[in-house]
Amino acid sequence: MAESKEPKRGRFLGVFRDIVYGMSSHEMTRHAVRTRASMEHLFILITMGDLLGIPILPPYYSLRLLPYVTPQITSWKRRMLRERDITDILG
Amino acid sequence: MSLRAVFEGRPDRRYVMFGGKGGLGKTTLSATSAFWLASHGKRVLLFSVDPQASLSDIFQRDIFGKGPVSIMPNLWAQEVDADQRIREYQDEIRKKIIDMYGFEQVPEEIDNYIAAASAEPAMEESAIFDAVVDIIVQGDYDYYIYDLVPLGHALYYLSMAKVYDEWINKITKLREDMRQYDQVAATMRRQETVEEDKILEELQYIKTRINASSQILTDKRRTAFFFVLVPEDMIILDTRKAAELFARFDVPISGYVVNRVLPPELDRASIPAYLRSRISMQQRHLEGIRTEFGDQVLAYVPEMERDVTGLPMIERLAERLFGNGR
Repeated sequence: MAESKEPKRGRFLGVFRDIVYGMSSHEMTRHAVRTRASMEHLFILITMGDLLGIPILPPYYSLRLLPYVTPQITSWKRRMLRERDITDILG
Repeated sequence: MSLRAVFEGRPDRRYVMFGGKGGLGKTTLSATSAFWLASHGKRVLLFSVDPQASLSDIFQRDIFGKGPVSIMPNLWAQEVDADQRIREYQDEIRKKIIDMYGFEQVPEEIDNYIAAASAEPAMEESAIFDAVVDIIVQGDYDYYIYDLVPLGHALYYLSMAKVYDEWINKITKLREDMRQYDQVAATMRRQETVEEDKILEELQYIKTRINASSQILTDKRRTAFFFVLVPEDMIILDTRKAAELFARFDVPISGYVVNRVLPPELDRASIPAYLRSRISMQQRHLEGIRTEFGDQVLAYVPEMERDVTGLPMIERLAERLFGNGR
C-alpha cells in the first residue's frame, strides 16, 4: 500500500508544480525563448547576411559558423523575407 | 646602424617584414635577408602573402602551393595558393554539415552559398590571412620572413584584422547574451544544464586566430618591419605617408632600406648626359632621405648590373648588403 501511495503523491506534486509553473513562469520562459530566437535570427543575419544578398563582412570566417546554423536557415529566411504590415507593429 | 646590426642585436625579432610600394625590391630584400640568416645557421621560412607571389621567380623554381619547399640548408620558401586553400576549406565545411546532420548531401541552398563565397571580394585575402596564422602557429623556424604585398594591400590586411576583431567582439557579445536567455529559460523549466554553445566556442577560436596574426604585426619585441624605398620623389612621398599610416596601426618600423642606388663612382666615368642626370637626381634625393630618415636608414643597396634571380646572384647581393664577415 505504502508503495502505491508514494508515486501518487509524486504525481500530484508534479502536477502541482506544473500548475504553479504555468501560472507564474511559463509566460516569462516563453518570452526568454522568443527573445532568444529573435537574437538567433539577428545573429544569422550578421554572419550569413550574404544569403539574402546583404554582404556584411567577407564570408571566410562566417563559413566556419554555417554548419551550426544550417537547420535554422530556412526558418530564418522565411522570417526575414516575410511581408510585414501594420499588425506586426501593433502585435 | 646596419641591417646586419639589427639582426644580430635583436635576435628576438623573429618576424621580419619588408614593406613598400610594388616593384621596389621587397621580394629581393626578403630573399637576400633569408639567405644571409640561413647561411648563418638560422632556420628560416620565407613565405609570400601576395596572390601574385614572386618567390618562384626569384628562386627559379616552381614552389607555388607546395607548402614549405627547401631551397638550401636552413632555408625554406612557401607560396600560399589561396584558391586551393579556399577549395579545401569549402570541402571541409560541406563535410562538417554532412557529418553533423547525417545528410546524404549538403542542401542545395546551403551548397550554393558555400560555392558563391569563393567569388566574394576579399575571400582570397582572408584565406591568405588565415594561412599565415597556420604558418606562424605550426612552424618551428627561428625566423619567419614575410614577402609582403604592396603597401595598399598590407594596410588592408592590418585594417582587416582590426575590423574582424571588432566584428568578432560584437557577435561574441550577442552570443553570450543569447546564452544568458538560454540559461534563464532552462532555470525556469528546472532543467539542470544548458547545451554547450558550439558557436561561441567557434567564435573564440576565430578570435584567437585573428589576434595571433595581428599581435605579431604589431609586436615591437618580436617583429621587425622594414620599409623599402628608392631615391625617387614619388616613392619618398608615398613612403612618408605609408609610414604614418602604419604607425597609426601600431606597426613598429625598424628602419628603412634604400634600394636601387646607382653607384656614385659612375659619375666620374664618361657617361651619357641622361645617366649623369639620373645620378645627380638620385644624389639629391639621397640627401633628402638622409635628412629625413637619418640613422633609421639601415642600408643603401646598389643597383645590380642584372636581375637578382637565382641563388648565386642572391648571394652576391647578400655580400653587398651584409658584408662578407661571418
